[in-house]
Amino acid sequence: MSSDTAPLAALTFEHLSKTYPNQAQPALNNLNLSVPRGSRLGIIGRSGAGKSTLVRLISGLEQPESGRLLIDGENPAQLSAAQRRNRQARTGLVFQHFNLLLQRTVLGNVTLPLELQGVPRAERERRALALLDKVGLAPYAKRYPAQLSGGQKQRVGIARALVTNPTLLLADEATSALDPETSASILQLLTDLQRERDLTLVIVTHQMEVVRAATTHVAVLDSGHLVETGDTRQVIASPQHPVTRALLEAHRPAVTPGNGQMLRLVTLANLGAQTLSTLARLQASVVQAQAHPLGVDAWLLLPNTVSEAELGALSGAAAPALKLSPLAEVL
Amino acid sequence: MNWAEIYPLLWQSTLETFWMVLPSAIIAQILGMLLGVWLSVTAPGGLRPNPLVNRSLDAVVNIGRSLPFIILLVILIPVTRLIVHTSIGSTAATVPLTIAAIPFVARLVDGALRDVPQGVTEAARAMGATNSQIVRKVLLPEALPALVNSFTVMLISLIGYSAMAGAIGGGGLGDLAIRYGYQRFETEVMIATVLVLLLLVQGVQWLGDRAARTLDHR
Ligand SMILES: Nc1ncnc2c1ncn2[C@@H]1O[C@H](COP(=O)(O)OP(=O)(O)OP(=O)(O)O)[C@@H](O)[C@H]1O
Ligand SMILES: [Mg+2]
Repeated sequence: MSSDTAPLAALTFEHLSKTYPNQAQPALNNLNLSVPRGSRLGIIGRSGAGKSTLVRLISGLEQPESGRLLIDGENPAQLSAAQRRNRQARTGLVFQHFNLLLQRTVLGNVTLPLELQGVPRAERERRALALLDKVGLAPYAKRYPAQLSGGQKQRVGIARALVTNPTLLLADEATSALDPETSASILQLLTDLQRERDLTLVIVTHQMEVVRAATTHVAVLDSGHLVETGDTRQVIASPQHPVTRALLEAHRPAVTPGNGQMLRLVTLANLGAQTLSTLARLQASVVQAQAHPLGVDAWLLLPNTVSEAELGALSGAAAPALKLSPLAEVL
Repeated sequence: MNWAEIYPLLWQSTLETFWMVLPSAIIAQILGMLLGVWLSVTAPGGLRPNPLVNRSLDAVVNIGRSLPFIILLVILIPVTRLIVHTSIGSTAATVPLTIAAIPFVARLVDGALRDVPQGVTEAARAMGATNSQIVRKVLLPEALPALVNSFTVMLISLIGYSAMAGAIGGGGLGDLAIRYGYQRFETEVMIATVLVLLLLVQGVQWLGDRAARTLDHR
């Protein structure tokens, strides 16, 4: 093994299946996937697809029924109970409904994971305050969660998830309970932290906008099956599976393209003068646009003579310089 | 009887009531809490589900709660003698009072712990918390206002129960009301006793509510 120079995957699923007790259908069915370290993986699918189940397996809240799950090359099933708890402490988890302790202050919530690890009080408060500062909540340390807005609660949730310096951060519908503007700022925070700390970030969502805004890789789940996976921009540009297409078109505007026209979704860097003049040159009109941290998702009505290359150039300009490594399929 | 005669009697009986109720309440709260935690931990969907243990504890709690206090008082006489070496007087009354309150507290604590949202427990579990850490650092602190409320309810019930302890010569306010107010037709004593009991219950309720409200950050 000493000659093995290939970077270890942050997460590897091999024939991973899970059926809940007394359920006829498996929630996850023979999942094979490897998630490179330092990537931002979006897990998308409709309700009941098995997304949360996957997160619960990774975070150790559920055990696989068959197959293997490796975190940093380690199989939690082969660890001792104490090692497994240690592993869990080094995996950050962010929830849709925050799941903060309401009887603890903001600071008390963020120090909890360290308290469970037996870190001395002064040290855990120092680390928690540094993170609260990072998420912009240092002045709120002595408040209670009930006194915060949804977005602030989620920032506390993120600080709590990161206080143990994990290498892996899981966010299950972390923005689903928030308004669009707050969602965008939370996604921005997550991507910033991911880059800064070189985390592997797994974002679970049922919204393609979230995948588009915050991920480098995407895995599409449907009825417990992994139906499509790959580089986010590639999958969005040419979705292969009907479910992926359906998810992409969930926000398709109710506009019927005229003769010789097509309706396309493109991510633009901005709607500034240069972009607008390019759009004008292509005779494209913006039907609907939504801004997010990485640009503007625009539905364009344009002549179907516009080539894929020209469309690619439009969105290419918007694409931030991301370090992409291929999402290798195992087996 | 005039006020000067009633006053020392009232004072003495109030102290006796306190002496019966307070130690019983404190011991019952501790033991009831242990039993309540055990109940909720072994419940289906609890931290460590165990149907057999859970159903047995549940049965014990139900039996304890359905026995009328006056009967408990009598059947516990041998136990009382064993623990406090006497079966009459205020001290003796603390034994049946404590035992009557334990299942009561257990049930309330079980309910209070179940009311802590599942998501909060899961968050702690995902941080690598042990079951004992979840109980001590999450469930009990999160349920604190409900635990304070359960203590208040229990204290008030015990004040009521302690009135019956007169049956074993337990003394206290209830005993005073029966001996003077009822058996000797001293209506003033009856009225004064009822007033003190009323004030006591109101006071406990007010203090308990206040404490619960101050401790509640939800
Ligand atoms: N604790 C459980 N017991 C039994 N079945 C469950 C349990 N949790 C989930 N399931 C089932 O497993 C399947 C996958 O559920 P899961 O929660 O993983 O879906 P999801 O993709 O997260 O959906 P959503 O978008 O609604 O959150 C569903 O059919 C669900 O009903
Ligand atoms: Mg879910």
